[in-house]
Amino acid sequence: MTRETWPTPPRLDKSPAMFRRLSRQPGEVIDRGAPLTFTWNGRTFPAYSGDTIASALAACGVRVFSRSFKYHRPRGLLTASYLDPGCMVQVGDEPNVRGAHRLVEAGMDVRSQDTWPSLALDVKAANELARRALSTGFYYKTFMSPGWLWPAYERVLERFAHGGVLGGNPSYDGRGGRYDKRHAHPDVLVAGGGPAGMAAAVAAARAGSSVMLVEEEHELGGHLRWGGDTDLTALRELRELIDATPGIEVLTDSVVLGRYDDNWVSVVQRGLPDIDERLVKARVKTLVVASGLIERPYVFAGNDVPGVMLSTAVRRLVNLYAVKPGERAVVLTANAEGDAAATDLERVGVEVIRVVDARRGGDVVSVHGRSRILFVELGNGQKVECDMVVTATGWTAPVSLLTMAGDVPRYDPTAARFRSDLSRLPPEVLATGGVVGDGTLGELVAHADAVGREAARRAVDVARVRRAATPTSVKDAEQTEPAPAVQLPELAMDAHPELFRGRTHGIVDFSEDVSSKDLFAAVAEGYSSAELAKRYTTATMGPAQGKLETVNVVAIVAEATDRTIAETGTTTWRPPYAPVTLGALAGREREPVRRSPMQSWHERHGAVPLVAGAWIRPDHYGDPAAEASTVREGVGIIDVTPIGKLDLRGPDVAKLLNLVYVNKWSKLEVGRVRYGVMCGEDGVVIDDGVTARLGDEHYLMTTTSSGAAAIWAWLESWLQTDHPEWQVHVTPVTTSYASMNIAGPRSRELVRRVADDIDDINDIDVEPEAFPYMHVRTGRVAGVDGCVLMRIGFTGELSFELHVPAGYGLHAWQTLLDEGRDLGVRAFGVEAQRILRLEKGHLIVGQDTDGLTRAYSAGLEGLVNLDKTDSVGLPELRWQHELRDGPRLVGLQTTQESLVPAEGSQLVDDSGRICGRVTSSRLSPTRGRSVCLGQIDARLAEPGTLVKIRLVDGGTAPAVVTEHLAQVDPEGLRLRG
Amino acid sequence: MILLPCPWCGPRDAEEFGYVGEMHTRPDPLTTSTEEWRDYLYLRRNVAGWTTERWHHRMGCRRYLLVERDTTTNAVRPADPGAGKREP
Amino acid sequence: MGTDMADARRFARRPGPARYSGLALLRHGVVDHPWAPAWRTRELKRTYEVVIVGGGIHGLATAYYLARNHGITDVAVLDKGYLGGGGSGRNTAILRSNYLTPEGVRFYDRSLDLYRGLAADLNFNVMFSRKGHLTLAHSDASLRTMRWRAEVNKVCGVDSDVIGPQDVKRLVPEMDVTDEARYPILGALYHPPGGIIRHDAVVWGYARAADSLGVHLHQDTEVTGIDVSAGKVRGVRTTRGDIATPLVVNATAGWATLVADMAGVRLPVQTFPLQAAVTEPVKPFLRTVVVSGTLHVYVSQTARGELVFGASVDPFASYSTRGSLEFTEGLASHVLALMPSLAKLRLLRQWSGLCDMTPDFAPIMGPTGVDGFLVDVGWGTYGFKAGPVAGETMAECVATGRTPQLISSFGLDRFAQGRLVGEKGAAAVGH
Repeated sequence: MTRETWPTPPRLDKSPAMFRRLSRQPGEVIDRGAPLTFTWNGRTFPAYSGDTIASALAACGVRVFSRSFKYHRPRGLLTASYLDPGCMVQVGDEPNVRGAHRLVEAGMDVRSQDTWPSLALDVKAANELARRALSTGFYYKTFMSPGWLWPAYERVLERFAHGGVLGGNPSYDGRGGRYDKRHAHPDVLVAGGGPAGMAAAVAAARAGSSVMLVEEEHELGGHLRWGGDTDLTALRELRELIDATPGIEVLTDSVVLGRYDDNWVSVVQRGLPDIDERLVKARVKTLVVASGLIERPYVFAGNDVPGVMLSTAVRRLVNLYAVKPGERAVVLTANAEGDAAATDLERVGVEVIRVVDARRGGDVVSVHGRSRILFVELGNGQKVECDMVVTATGWTAPVSLLTMAGDVPRYDPTAARFRSDLSRLPPEVLATGGVVGDGTLGELVAHADAVGREAARRAVDVARVRRAATPTSVKDAEQTEPAPAVQLPELAMDAHPELFRGRTHGIVDFSEDVSSKDLFAAVAEGYSSAELAKRYTTATMGPAQGKLETVNVVAIVAEATDRTIAETGTTTWRPPYAPVTLGALAGREREPVRRSPMQSWHERHGAVPLVAGAWIRPDHYGDPAAEASTVREGVGIIDVTPIGKLDLRGPDVAKLLNLVYVNKWSKLEVGRVRYGVMCGEDGVVIDDGVTARLGDEHYLMTTTSSGAAAIWAWLESWLQTDHPEWQVHVTPVTTSYASMNIAGPRSRELVRRVADDIDDINDIDVEPEAFPYMHVRTGRVAGVDGCVLMRIGFTGELSFELHVPAGYGLHAWQTLLDEGRDLGVRAFGVEAQRILRLEKGHLIVGQDTDGLTRAYSAGLEGLVNLDKTDSVGLPELRWQHELRDGPRLVGLQTTQESLVPAEGSQLVDDSGRICGRVTSSRLSPTRGRSVCLGQIDARLAEPGTLVKIRLVDGGTAPAVVTEHLAQVDPEGLRLRG
Repeated sequence: MILLPCPWCGPRDAEEFGYVGEMHTRPDPLTTSTEEWRDYLYLRRNVAGWTTERWHHRMGCRRYLLVERDTTTNAVRPADPGAGKREP
Repeated sequence: MGTDMADARRFARRPGPARYSGLALLRHGVVDHPWAPAWRTRELKRTYEVVIVGGGIHGLATAYYLARNHGITDVAVLDKGYLGGGGSGRNTAILRSNYLTPEGVRFYDRSLDLYRGLAADLNFNVMFSRKGHLTLAHSDASLRTMRWRAEVNKVCGVDSDVIGPQDVKRLVPEMDVTDEARYPILGALYHPPGGIIRHDAVVWGYARAADSLGVHLHQDTEVTGIDVSAGKVRGVRTTRGDIATPLVVNATAGWATLVADMAGVRLPVQTFPLQAAVTEPVKPFLRTVVVSGTLHVYVSQTARGELVFGASVDPFASYSTRGSLEFTEGLASHVLALMPSLAKLRLLRQWSGLCDMTPDFAPIMGPTGVDGFLVDVGWGTYGFKAGPVAGETMAECVATGRTPQLISSFGLDRFAQGRLVGEKGAAAVGH
């Protein structure tokens, strides 16, 4: 036994060269006419276009690419595919790049992850020494006390977090960045572009379907690509067939991520120029799963030493990338791929010292070495010195998409793999190729051809059934049952020896550094189901998402619990099938924004924007207190377009209003406006607003801005479900009208100038006798027909609410400002309006009320009419009236006039118990002191009661409950003038 | 998401709809007791299996529709259209 | 409480499974000696004094506190699958007590208190990482609610306060606090005592401790019926045999109404899936738990480096945990709206659990109309953080027959009485 040596440090005098590159291979994918260079851990390496990062480095003799998670053992290539756990690297600011899949680009900056100070000499490898103490789950058994040290312990654990570094450059740009989405509509989607997938796609397209063919690798062909001459010929023919058959869209370097209910399928498309990743979504009619097979590692001591690799890794490196993986190899083979790998190695000059045939009882016991193989111990006791150990011990069917569709795979001991139960699949999901069974190339293609044709036939059927399944008033001649399925040919599964773990303990999850010994220990400690063992050891929770590990884990837990694999369990696969960036899932930003027609004016005049749901509104124009004063003393205008507006027409509108409002509505005359409050069936206030009767059968309802959509749906629900016999049409007109409030003592004068033209038959007489408070008129304002003008008052001043057809909103706004210049008119924003309404004690639903506030707790008992035959929430309103419990809405004044308590401040009683809160609070420019509204326990709601407000800094301040909610003009004289 | 059979628009993605919930009858507000009314407000059958429920085609025809759904598998079938009106 | 310390000492000296400790780790490592099982497999007895349906954190904690605080050990915990396989194994493990109502704050803070001492109490490292918890406010209405919560918290002695965007930026440098964001951050509720925990470890810790006190844990044992006669519980029927018992606790989530129906008890509960997702690990950079009510998303990073995401429940009631694409799309969109530099991070896995939603975002705890049938259900999206206090109070309820003050507002009868709990404001995303 030779002594362990440190890995030979790279010779600094020699720059890397492709000394392991072979002569041209018939199936190679590299372009020797397009050389390029990139850097690996700071050193420049050569490559060819078509190389992956791993193949380029391997061609230059690199054998160690990373360090393992816990013990920081050196790792080399295992699968040489996307799943390779040994080659996760950082490319620029992108972490966790799959180095055996990502193509090299000129100038790429590639670094190993989580190695310090360097890949060669990694300090954390000292963990290996502590390995025995750092058994699986060790952290559950220690670090418990003293508890205050846990943060320090945690910082230490964090240093071992195994992954790349998130760079600071955002590549997600909401205004059109490097990710996007696409909706596709293929009839048939084929997941997997190996020979079976290709044949199925061609067959389906020939039968008339539009087909999308999705392949994970950079080109179609699957395992044919690294095969022998017959495979390569077949590959060429199939590719030509794909090109020649119309109706097939091919996506390479793309993966089907998930299949959701009703064949909603997601695909991540990579390798597009200028796009990092694209998310493709499709409601496919038929899904054909042709995901092939994934080769499984063999578990034995030393199975993670660089140089131990799978047969498919060897065949890829040799045949696709023309890389000689080593010099002296031992091959453990249990199937044809293993045999072929040995042949490939010999063909390119690798000395194949032994071919150990597992079908005849041969076995590999252990591999010795650390950063390279020193020797391998075979089952017959021999020790062989070599630098490569190749295993071909079995396959795992990636049944993820099938299980997402309802498949429950069962273990077949003869074939040594899980077999899908295709009968559990819905008719719109089919499967072909290696994922179903085995056969010669001809048999696989024949099966796929039949499946493809059937997929096309079913696609037509699925479309028909979906259409027919929606009920219409006309009795459908089409049946809703799918046509009987055509019998598909069988694809048998070859027998295969069961090889999961050899005679020693080895690594089961390479990414998580979990060994079979860890699994045994977990089972012994009581974590004896596959699920518990996985959670305790974290096996299968790494970046390979279980594809390399799950079956071995189940097999080893079965072994440890002395059960069969079938008894131990099956595998649950969850989307996404392959990792997908958040950027692709998010796509480009599509959050809509709503702006009123006057928004451009607001922006030009210095409005500070307020985000109110989807709307952007003007909060103020620089001095909200002055804006409020202007309204109290002169006239101001505010843009209130976001107010919800619903146009109601029909003979039964009054019945609807009576139902949804707490007050009575049967006798609202034409030309009148009434304030109303809506409650839910539980008696909780949900919205308020005014409704105006514009004509005999024509009303205009307003709601809160945030409630507009909900109230629209609310009205429709009552009409459609409970009263379909009522004739009421509801049309949302929130964005059909630009709305503005003209408020202040001089508002009538201003309105007269734009609405009252004695020579115009469409004018509106705004004199107080002609247009009293709580009335509505329609007509021409500012030269625009179809306007609605209401006399209502949220601000407590004489005011008019004008609704102008939206296209003329800016014109009307500007007209008001022009006409009112000598009156001192100015625009006021939401903040000023809040001050004004608060001075008048007007509640805001959702601010002065919350999700449990009932009508009686919102000061609205005067509005509630209990004599109606029906009203939403009527029983609860009645019981509220009887019980009179619950908090009350009151006005509050702090003793210290200048103190403006924060909204949300709590009210406390003498014993320090919370008895309410401040819901609204502002400094009133009119009163020169703070004014507040609050919710308070009923027992403290009497005017004159002294309460304490708990201030934000922890102190308290006294306050008194006011007589009225309004603290300016409580009698409402200014309003009704 | 799942497809819902809108009687007016055909099979549409559930994302276009608002979910209302189980069908349940509304007691007579004039004669109901607190127990009956609050059962109506708060109790649901919460079936694990086929249930009849209301959806609202918010981003489509704006109709309320009834659907039968197996809550364990999300299989959907159209409900009897006549079952839409609540019992008087 | 003085008795806590005495009980803890008594527990520590009991004969039973070997204590976990750093020293023991080394000893086991050197000698290569296997550890004793964390819990034992038992025969199902014909009778038990108490049967708890549901082997998640609530059921296990109740069993543990029954044994530890009240000396009642003839207890069976039944789970139809493996321990902690339901909500306890699927949540995003966020702990906090920054609730809206004083009752809520006191309740969840007691739980946090128990969590703080749990690792020592159970002799199992549950890895409670007190990272601090941020609830972002993107509108003034939201900021107002944060202030409301902060003030209530302060009155109840819980550390919470409202902070501004620049302070948010200091805590989370990756956060976009500019005005260019679609929903600019106006401030946040900052709650330093909140954090994350290893949820499986809490389940295993309670299971091991309960088992060591003599409680019987039965996995793969599904309850198929509850025998009630003359308004009293007589026993339960299971897939492994029948048990006679006078007292059954329904501590299930997702199946609460199915189990309650067996006893003839109706619950105001609707079951909704709640999805979550996790990314590949990257070097830890996020030191705080981040929640946004407006964007319906929450984010935390484990010590292993994975980011864990969650959002609100699915839009329609269902018992299917298959998950949806829409969830991941919406989630990614909102996470990137908060932290644009995360775009290149890859989602690795999504899963979902079932949440029993009540009309007032508060649980249902205590007795029902059937004598001997108690419930600890309706835990919606906030069940895991309450595990310890729920176990402690339910144990007291079972042992004394009286409803503890701490859970007095969570009774089943509150709905019939129209007295809903006031948490509706805070529970928007509810984690």
